Amino acid sequence: MSNAVKVGLWSGLLGLFIVVMFSGRSILMCGIITGVFAGLLAGARTDGSTMRDGIRDAAIAAGVGGALLLLANLIRHLLIDPLVAQTPPPLIDDILVGLLAAAIAVVIGVAFGAAHFLNGRVGLASARVPASSAATWALLGLIIIAYPFLDQAIQLGWIGIIITSLVFILLAMGLNVVVGYAGLLDLGYAAFFAIGAYTVALLSSDHLGGQLGFDLRLSFWLVLWIAAAMAAIFGLILGSPTLPLRGDYLAIVTLGFGEIVPIVFRNLDRLTIKIGDWVLVKNFNLTGGEPGISPIDPPVLPGMNFADRTDQRPWYFLLIAIIILSMILINRLRDSRLGRAWMAMREDELAAASMGINIVQTKLLAFSMGAFFSGFGGAFFAAFVSGAFPSSFDFSVSVIVLCMVILGGLGNVTGVIVGGLIIELSDRLFLPQVSLFLQDLAKANPTLEWLQRFDPNLYRFGLFGLVLVMMMQLRPEGLLPNARRRAELHEGEEPVEAVQSVVG
Amino acid sequence: MAQTAAPATPVVQRRNYSSLIIGVVLLLVFSPLLLSIITQIIANPLLFIEALKVGVINGAIIAIIALGYTLVYGIIELINFAHGDVYMLGAFATLVFFGLLDLNNTTPWIVRAPALILVFIAVMAITALVNYSIERFAYRRLRNAPRLAPLISAIGISFIVQNVGLIVGGQTLPQGDYWALVSFIAPVLIACVALVFARRIQAARPVPWWGWMLLIIVTGLIASAGFNLMHSTLQNVAPIDVGASIMGNTASGPKSLPEVIAGPTTPPAILINTSDSKVLFRLGWKDMMVLVLSSSLMFGLYLFVQRTKVGKAMRATAQDRDAAALMGIDVNRTISLAFILGGALAGAAGMIVGMYNNTAVFTMGFTAGLRAFTSAVLGGIGNIAGSMLGGLLIGILASLSDIYIETRWTNAVVFAVLVIILVFRPSGLLGEEGGQKA
Amino acid sequence: MAATNNILEAAAVTKQFGGLTAVNSVDFVIGRGSICSVIGPNGAGKTTFFNMITGVYTPTSGTLLFDGKSIAGLKPDQVTTSGIGRTFQNIRLFGNMTALENVLVGMHARLNANLFGILIRSKKVKAEEASARRAALDLLDYVGLGSERANEISKSLPYGDQRRLEVARALATNPKLLLLDEPTAGMNPQETAALTKLIRQIRDERDITVLLIEHDMKVVMDISERITVLDRGIKIAEGSPELVRTNEQVIEAYLGRGAAAHGKGGRRPATAT
Repeated sequence: MSNAVKVGLWSGLLGLFIVVMFSGRSILMCGIITGVFAGLLAGARTDGSTMRDGIRDAAIAAGVGGALLLLANLIRHLLIDPLVAQTPPPLIDDILVGLLAAAIAVVIGVAFGAAHFLNGRVGLASARVPASSAATWALLGLIIIAYPFLDQAIQLGWIGIIITSLVFILLAMGLNVVVGYAGLLDLGYAAFFAIGAYTVALLSSDHLGGQLGFDLRLSFWLVLWIAAAMAAIFGLILGSPTLPLRGDYLAIVTLGFGEIVPIVFRNLDRLTIKIGDWVLVKNFNLTGGEPGISPIDPPVLPGMNFADRTDQRPWYFLLIAIIILSMILINRLRDSRLGRAWMAMREDELAAASMGINIVQTKLLAFSMGAFFSGFGGAFFAAFVSGAFPSSFDFSVSVIVLCMVILGGLGNVTGVIVGGLIIELSDRLFLPQVSLFLQDLAKANPTLEWLQRFDPNLYRFGLFGLVLVMMMQLRPEGLLPNARRRAELHEGEEPVEAVQSVVG
Repeated sequence: MAQTAAPATPVVQRRNYSSLIIGVVLLLVFSPLLLSIITQIIANPLLFIEALKVGVINGAIIAIIALGYTLVYGIIELINFAHGDVYMLGAFATLVFFGLLDLNNTTPWIVRAPALILVFIAVMAITALVNYSIERFAYRRLRNAPRLAPLISAIGISFIVQNVGLIVGGQTLPQGDYWALVSFIAPVLIACVALVFARRIQAARPVPWWGWMLLIIVTGLIASAGFNLMHSTLQNVAPIDVGASIMGNTASGPKSLPEVIAGPTTPPAILINTSDSKVLFRLGWKDMMVLVLSSSLMFGLYLFVQRTKVGKAMRATAQDRDAAALMGIDVNRTISLAFILGGALAGAAGMIVGMYNNTAVFTMGFTAGLRAFTSAVLGGIGNIAGSMLGGLLIGILASLSDIYIETRWTNAVVFAVLVIILVFRPSGLLGEEGGQKA
Repeated sequence: MAATNNILEAAAVTKQFGGLTAVNSVDFVIGRGSICSVIGPNGAGKTTFFNMITGVYTPTSGTLLFDGKSIAGLKPDQVTTSGIGRTFQNIRLFGNMTALENVLVGMHARLNANLFGILIRSKKVKAEEASARRAALDLLDYVGLGSERANEISKSLPYGDQRRLEVARALATNPKLLLLDEPTAGMNPQETAALTKLIRQIRDERDITVLLIEHDMKVVMDISERITVLDRGIKIAEGSPELVRTNEQVIEAYLGRGAAAHGKGGRRPATAT
């Protein structure tokens, strides 16, 4: 069967799974997802090369996908709902909604398929990009902007989870600078996340002011940058002891810092400083201890209401803006003298030094730049959940973010985003839903009572671990690696064309 | 890899001035704390002796676990993150066996003693097997891969093993639930079926990497579900009531083990009072047990590595793998042996701790692993005597921190010590000078 | 310091590794604008000597002056910034970066983009990048690689091209003194001749002093104005090619005592194994 049909099957299968697990309302979202998926992949793997081919393949793929969605809705209506003892909406409604979803999928799919084959170049004279990528990005941008409104309209309720996932993706982008570009294995990245969050918490809430008697509540827009700067400074501080270390030892020290920082935050709630008999501070609650610091002032922007947390759309757009800014900055770093220095250092530290690269400076810059973006993430997160809680910053955060970077393919920003989405959505959206689904199934059917004991939520970490191990065994270069990364990691396996260098 | 291409790395380590500055600053900041500790020690020496005793006992256990880290690192330069969790498995395995055999303080010694010995051997065998499998299936393929791959795999395995601990803790298996034991057949069968299925597909047309991942994840989920199904069915059809319930049912809380050595009312083995009848030094039977067992294990390992031919092979492989291979040493088998020994030691430590603290929780591997790894590094990683020394030192340090600072800070203190050692003396106390290997 | 005619002056330079003395009290000067070679059997200490110049090792004792200033104990990046460039005995390209990127990395120390400028993509930084790219492409052309190769991953280049890329990368550091460590190792006669020509060009056109370690005696005799011979860490001979060729000690070091006794001098010694 042709590539297009294969792509369609895969997209549809994904949609089918989602629709079966979630309520029928998600099917419209699935229509969009299927369309994007089908359009992007069909465009990339099409057998032809003209726009007509692109449209045709995308239409087939999206059509197949859409058909599967319709099928999914019917399965849901006829099979699943009775099983979980839910009364489904009238059949005709389900069919119509299914058709609508399929139609959406086809339209979007075709749009992406067509965009892939736009010829020519657009942009300013200094930076001409292919029209096809510009169009694809523009379409994606449209969808990203439209999503919150859709979510609101069909009352999907995914937006909170999407926002949290995007925060982690921002973190992954920052870690990518340290691990992917500069090759410094950082296992304690959560520390900088915490620093960003606590900076905002301390400067943008009543916590300090209430104890010290004066008002210290800066505007979020200012504190955001202060938090990022603080994180960057700590990146320098925590990075400097690691400079002479390599590989494993570097990882362990960063792990150590990643643990020490949250412990410090957790325990500085009864701070007493005495010099002899002179009491400087007594029982000062600096960081809020285990319960953390909460609430935190939301940003203030005329025209948008951040304070009303039932409508999270302003937060969504704020985060998208921060992510886009970060992407731009990271790309600039990558394509610069500094970015090249990082990559050279990663490849061969001695040769890099011999080319005039100051290794100390370059490593420190990697740490602090990576931490900078984590500071952004921490600042946003603290404001978003209106609190900084030590339990949000443990080792698992560092590992999850590292997992995203690896899954996405070290050194590749798009890959990191895709990897991040897969991990976060599976973890926060799918797994709990599968759990709920199984619970409902068990409750409604006495014969399946044993299912009540089986809670996939308990297996979260084991699954993560399994993914990590499998990744390293089967595809250490990640999902969308650079060609160079793939070459690096399969070094031991393939013979090199060039004559082996003479050993002197 | 850079191995064939690199000239010798410079032996001279350039001084890292920024860390020196930070070190001095930290020293100044913490000096009042240190002074206050010293004054407290002088004021109450009995407490200090007690702290030392507790430290040595804990240190002995940490040392055993540290040996596992050092054996593995010495031979393949890999930090086996999962080692601490294997230790945790040892404790849980002990819990399961005690439950199945219904061992506790009322069991007559004539039954209890041999039973304990058998359990000891069984637990060590299980953890040795687990550690061996980890090496065989996860690390072996990655022996020549860049640093990142085995490290990440180790972290992944740590998570998996922790999850196993979590799940086992939540089952009634440790309570003597024989049906749970039998129900393990279900996931094993499912795994075999999946394997055959996969082989068939692979033969017909190659499976892409994401296909394998999907297959394994789905198989895992089905296997767990199958276990639950079989277990429930069996329980409903033919309920067995074995032993009293000895633990709570929350999946993630600590589980309690029965007392098997000495109860709370058993008089201590050694008791020395001061002239004004305050307790100078008190050593219970459990403490004796820990000291005797741990020193025997450490001594046994030391003899094994230093005096036997196999031990010599291990030391040779640790020094230079290729040369050892050229001398006819089966490198794979030697490496596996290191893992087996390390795993057995971790299991023994788990059982000892289980009997001493009467509790097991699935997160215990992380803390213990951290302290054990710090000990190994402190002593000089790759150096067996060093690990033992390091273990004792860290045990004492942790105990002093618990008493004179606060328990909630102890983990941070241990981590800080780890960082300090790695920055200022990465070769450790008994290791060779010359920086660490890349 | 008075400007001397010697770009590099080494006096009694010694390097000891524990009990092993790799380089033993070697005196060595290089005249500005000359092409010199260091030869000697394997293990003579040539690369160790190079590594001391380039900052990989610190001399145990002795002085090392470059352009009148001491470079002993400097870090490699500091040495490069002072004006010494090098290639490596075993090719140490940044294998997974393109040829162009390798050369651009070489320019690192000569570019000025700082963090702030990079982040805001200032006009200065953009202009500097553009001119750096042009210069890098020119260098690739200069060494004979050509701009078609510019975007190839350097690991996948043929061996001879990799060697040339290393030279281009070293030239990108804008050196006054270029150290080439066995640049013709593994090359066939045509490639060797081309490289020899390039070395001469580098000295003639770019006013760069060149110091070679070489085993290929044809190249050494052909191109060097002065040859220094090391054996087991000691300098055993130094002078023009004719002088060195007929020196008994040199022949003995390469071919063994018997060869000298049988009067094998006068003919060119066989290429050292």
